[in-house]
Amino acid sequence: MSIPKEAYQTLQSIVGAEWVSDDPAICEADRYCSLSDPTDEKRRPGCSIEPATTAEVQAIVKLANRYKIPFVVTSTFYGAGTYCRKDDSILIDLKRMNQLEIDKDNMYAIVGPGVPFAALQADLLKMGLFTFVPGCGGQSSVVANTVNMGDAPLGWRHGLGYQRLLAVEWVLPDGDILKMGSQSMSDDYFWGEGPGPDLRGLLRGCAGHQSRMGIITRIGVKVFPFVSEALQPEGWAYHTFMNLPPNRFKWYNIRFPSRKEAIDAIYELGRCEIALVVMTVPPIFRGVARSRGVGCGGFWEYWKEASGKLNRKQEDLRVLLYGIGSDKRLEYEEKVLLDIVKEYDGSAREAPCRDETNFMAADAICANVVGGRFASEVSYESISQAVTYARVVDKICDEHRPPILQEYNTTDWVCPYELGYIAKMECLRMAAVEDNYALQEWKKEVEAACAEKGAYALVPDNKVFGPVWGNYPEKEDAIRAAFDPNHISNPE
Amino acid sequence: MLKVEEYKHQAETCVRCSYCKFPDLNYIKSSRFSRQCPIDTRYKFNLFSAHGLLHTALAELDGKLTFTPQLMNALWQCTLCGGCDIRCKRNLDVEVLQVIETLRCRCVEQGQGPMPEHKRMAASVKKSHNIYGADPKDRLKWLTADIKPARKADILYFVGDPMSYRRPELAQATAKILEKAGAPFMLLPDEWSSGHELFATGQLKPAREVAEHNVAAIKASGARQVITSDAEAYKTLKVDYPRIMEKSTEDMPYTILHITEYIAGLLKDGKLKFNRRVPMKVTYHDPCNLGRLGEPWYHWEPKYEPPNIAVGKKWRRGYDGIYEPPREILRAIRGIEFIEMERVKDNAWCCGYGGGVGAAFPDFAMWTAGERIAEAMTTGVEAIVSCCPNCKDLLGAAAEPSGIKVYDITEIMLRAIR
Repeated sequence: MSIPKEAYQTLQSIVGAEWVSDDPAICEADRYCSLSDPTDEKRRPGCSIEPATTAEVQAIVKLANRYKIPFVVTSTFYGAGTYCRKDDSILIDLKRMNQLEIDKDNMYAIVGPGVPFAALQADLLKMGLFTFVPGCGGQSSVVANTVNMGDAPLGWRHGLGYQRLLAVEWVLPDGDILKMGSQSMSDDYFWGEGPGPDLRGLLRGCAGHQSRMGIITRIGVKVFPFVSEALQPEGWAYHTFMNLPPNRFKWYNIRFPSRKEAIDAIYELGRCEIALVVMTVPPIFRGVARSRGVGCGGFWEYWKEASGKLNRKQEDLRVLLYGIGSDKRLEYEEKVLLDIVKEYDGSAREAPCRDETNFMAADAICANVVGGRFASEVSYESISQAVTYARVVDKICDEHRPPILQEYNTTDWVCPYELGYIAKMECLRMAAVEDNYALQEWKKEVEAACAEKGAYALVPDNKVFGPVWGNYPEKEDAIRAAFDPNHISNPE
Repeated sequence: MLKVEEYKHQAETCVRCSYCKFPDLNYIKSSRFSRQCPIDTRYKFNLFSAHGLLHTALAELDGKLTFTPQLMNALWQCTLCGGCDIRCKRNLDVEVLQVIETLRCRCVEQGQGPMPEHKRMAASVKKSHNIYGADPKDRLKWLTADIKPARKADILYFVGDPMSYRRPELAQATAKILEKAGAPFMLLPDEWSSGHELFATGQLKPAREVAEHNVAAIKASGARQVITSDAEAYKTLKVDYPRIMEKSTEDMPYTILHITEYIAGLLKDGKLKFNRRVPMKVTYHDPCNLGRLGEPWYHWEPKYEPPNIAVGKKWRRGYDGIYEPPREILRAIRGIEFIEMERVKDNAWCCGYGGGVGAAFPDFAMWTAGERIAEAMTTGVEAIVSCCPNCKDLLGAAAEPSGIKVYDITEIMLRAIR
């Protein structure tokens, strides 16, 4: 079987012959993206197509409906599940849709799905503005990440990515175009809210809609004021960073006697509304950071020595202070931080005034240096839930096949956002490349056990389940069915 | 060429994060020039990227894929610039470029490649020891009466095909600079093509022959240092020769220097001064073969410890190439106003010529060069300086409509010390 010839010819007429291909090598290269589950069978697409405009996307989707051909959408290809599960699907790659306009005065940007964060951030920084590069990296798509959760450590003060979503242009699974927010009234992306119910909630969430609700072709995204000084990059490719203006930024590494004091301090930081980044630092993160440029061997050399000296009770916190608006603000925040540290028996150490992984790079992928592959359990809820869930996951992990890395303090990463209103718990497990399949099998065991115990869990295909989620999965399926009557938008 | 087991391991280690498509993210200065990989930037399909090629390499190895027309396009239009390779090594231990090179070799072994233009080069090298098919007797035609190579000297000037046959003025400039620097040099009595294009296009048998010939000739000359001003020859003698002989650069019977390394050393030691002003606003284009590909080669027999520790391996991560000497030279010349482009050093955008692309895909090569010219134009310079005759030719052609001049650094140096 393959894409019907007539349909393929129509696709060629939509985008031009250069931008659609059923060449087996092109399709093979689109078989799976990063973070896709190796235990899930991934099919080679029937063809790959690269539209340049919303009209072309709409025509492709209408054709897919006419012929009932499944389609899957991707853009920067660093994705969490956008790969073909059905034979002879159309893989719609949106890289050519890289429109980028910045409205400096009104502090928002209009972006197409082919724009990566690093490109947007580079243009913003020149204008004294900034956005938050997500943890997965600056090479990821602004649109894809923003309509998903939009997870980034910089979300402590300004909120997660989905909070920044403004007007949306959306090609529904049947090919109709839905314009939301100010787009519904005029060609304007400034407002997220518009007449009628706000449907952005259908897109957003922990795992997003995984391209099962059609294709977002353009969004407005809120951006924020930043220092006017240019951030100076330094270093060679294996270890680069951006120097921050020292009169406006300060990094602190803080050690607390236990997780309890660290969490209490996080709550207090939130109450005082200070800092730009607040995150706990599992010891393994330090190991990864120190193995820059020395690879897997260097990591293990460090780790073998460091892990023996770990105090398993202690918890580390990393805080970036930012003098928003003035140097005085930085002085104030520093005083408040140090008071809080003292109150909760922590010890603070100022770290170099530079950033490696928040403003541009944010390359979570570096965790692969440990063994080649990692799997992670993730939840987003309150700080207290993150702590509880971490405990549950750790206990379950102990009862199941062990991961390769056992000998370190806490395996879980608690990253609070929105001044402590929401928090992520991410439990990382590492494995060698050849053990990847086993690692994912293990992950599924853990997920199933979590669900049984009523903890948050994501099953393959990124569906949430478990008693705490009530009938959400059924309702989600019903919504999808209503939007996608032919069941062709990234079907399971 | 990687052995099968190692080839598979390296390709499998790719996690498809797409980092290979970008300059180092911390160094990106604008959305316009935020890409690193020419084939990815032009063609967009994931096959046209390092991670796409690594994945298809696995599929080809497993017999699930043949060398389809588009795989041939992607594989042979890759300029082997190495940007993907060092970018990936920020986060992972993967020899990205070696996998792509090995895929090329497999393509050649199976009789599917290389491109006809590359085969013609190999035939020319076999017949006349240069890639152009020119008469080998003409190799020294560039020598003018005022240039007097020594019969015996510590320094051997390896000229290379482009300067011997196509750009004699650059060979002359190099020789005159050496003379003015008080560095007597000799030439090989029978220099063959460096074989750069043969290595790049996976034609390893003829590549080995030229390597063996040139290494033996250099050894026989008794030279202590080999100097070249051809970036491709530099990389080939420094990296490809030891690699095919399963040695490290330091184990070769010669040390190789690019002319800029040598001259920058003299400047630093106060043994040379540029005594003439060269009033010009310039930027510098890093040739891939001098920069990120110009790092020393370290031979390594694959040996791993769990989970993925490459025992005893020295990684080439892009920082040990020749980046500063050309810049030091330009800064030392009075009158030169030197302005950097956005993508420089290990983040430099390829001119488009490398990997055999200039010969086989001239339109794509020209498009790639045009992107570099567009970047140079944003600096407001009147000239681009580089250190590679092929960079000069291709960038020069692409720059014609803009009015920007393109010079080899030897031309600028010669003007500064006349």
